[in-house]
Amino acid sequence: MLFALAPVYWMLTISLKMEVEQFASPPPWFVFTPTLQHYYDAFVARGFGQYLLTSAIVAVVSTACALVVGTLAAYALARFELPFKLNRRLSLWILSTRMFPAIVTAVPLFLMMRDLRLLNTRASLIIVYTAFNLPFVVWMMRGFFVDLPRDLEEAALVDGDSRVGALVRVVLPLVAPGLAATAVFCLIVSWNEFLFALVLTQTVAAMTLPVGIAGRVTQYEIKWGVMSAAASVAIVPILVFALALQKYLVRGLSLGAVKG
Amino acid sequence: MSAQSKRELLLPLLFIAPAVAVLLALSIYPLIYSVTISLQQQGNTWGVGNFKRLLTDNFFWTAMAHTFVYAVAALTCEFVLGLGLALLLNAQIRGRGFFRASLLVPMMLPAVVVGVVWRLMLNPNFGAINGTLKRFGISTESLTWTASPKLAMLSVIAVDVWQWTPFVFLVLLAGLQAIPQEPYEAALIDGSSRWQTFRHVTLPLLKPSILIVLLLRTMDLLRVFDQIFILTEGGPGFATETISLYIYRTAFRFFDFGYAAAMSFVLLALTNVISVIYIRFLQAKEAT
Repeated sequence: MLFALAPVYWMLTISLKMEVEQFASPPPWFVFTPTLQHYYDAFVARGFGQYLLTSAIVAVVSTACALVVGTLAAYALARFELPFKLNRRLSLWILSTRMFPAIVTAVPLFLMMRDLRLLNTRASLIIVYTAFNLPFVVWMMRGFFVDLPRDLEEAALVDGDSRVGALVRVVLPLVAPGLAATAVFCLIVSWNEFLFALVLTQTVAAMTLPVGIAGRVTQYEIKWGVMSAAASVAIVPILVFALALQKYLVRGLSLGAVKG
Repeated sequence: MSAQSKRELLLPLLFIAPAVAVLLALSIYPLIYSVTISLQQQGNTWGVGNFKRLLTDNFFWTAMAHTFVYAVAALTCEFVLGLGLALLLNAQIRGRGFFRASLLVPMMLPAVVVGVVWRLMLNPNFGAINGTLKRFGISTESLTWTASPKLAMLSVIAVDVWQWTPFVFLVLLAGLQAIPQEPYEAALIDGSSRWQTFRHVTLPLLKPSILIVLLLRTMDLLRVFDQIFILTEGGPGFATETISLYIYRTAFRFFDFGYAAAMSFVLLALTNVISVIYIRFLQAKEAT
């Protein structure tokens, strides 16, 4: 546990230390004079606020799109018997698209977005992240739908509800926890994503937080405090979600293969 | 097919269509597009020039070798540590929720943040690692970690082990806890030793979890990009350049998209072959 958390704690201390103490040797782990100067520098003086906003918008919108499209497909795959073994074939095909290494699609997607004049826009990232999260949503939600007994929706159908009505009024409320877990996963993946964001956005107006941070890291002179402050803020939503979601995390990270 | 069953089919197909359309447009079409780019050579002629070039490109093969070293070393460490911990801690632990949540933190972090965290930890001048070593009187002059050609690969491997061992541990722990008690009781009655019990009871029953976690980790390790990009940018020199970094550099620094696309197909083929092998093993297990 110490092993897992100490490095993150170390970064937090760097973000709160004046530069004199950052470079002190031996390094102070616990006793130092805290300052919020670096947070001010990063988010007020240096445009990290803009990156933060972009990251949030892209993550939320792409998650919403992937959830709607993916949940519908997952429901159909879990509940209807399709001809030509389509259920299994489609599910496996959808999963296989998730297995491509990102760099393989990054090159053609860059060229496609360039042709569509969508480079350096939030829309390009929203589109790409929706597609990236979609297989995951389908697999997770399919698992939750399969786990759900059919009786309840059949009762609703007998009562004269339409299929869509039964889905919205009966099924979705029952899988709400699973839906929430899936949503949070997509949010985290989009929030953390780096390669596509690096390739598709190069301007300050369209950059996400990870790309903004990376830009600072690889510059010649590195402002360690500012960078640590930005990185610390980038992990806040993750920490909140990890705590809220720990029950589902292993299942999610293994694409539903392990029901931990 | 009767009109009734046709109508029954319409709804599910309508539900699935948007997902299929999105994936066709953004996963399959890019792949096809990529094939066409990779077959375009300099001077706008068609041919397999880009693939021929691969064979004699030393940088490409070096990057491949780095990727293998990185993947094998990290996978081995993560698996051994993860399995060991899972066996050791396969019991009800007090404060389990907090314990688990804290283990989850590294793997949920953005790769960029992992890079930043470890650049701070490993910094030769003010990093916590060297600072702590100094306190114990160990000379740290030669320990420049990510800046040293010799230690850079070790450093990036260690970072991945730090980030992903908890994941291996949690999946295997979940697998262990799903094993019923009966086989263990039978083994106890047979007078099996602990090693025999582990070898003949635990390992076979844990095999599906092991294969899944190895498959997922292998795929991630072979395509590693983010952390190494932040930690070393493939350097110093070419010391930690993996295949994804080399493809990135070829496409977005040298703008040689055709060659980058050709290399990316080698990576794709490689990950496909490996995942097929894993899945074969997994299905062989299920069949018996």
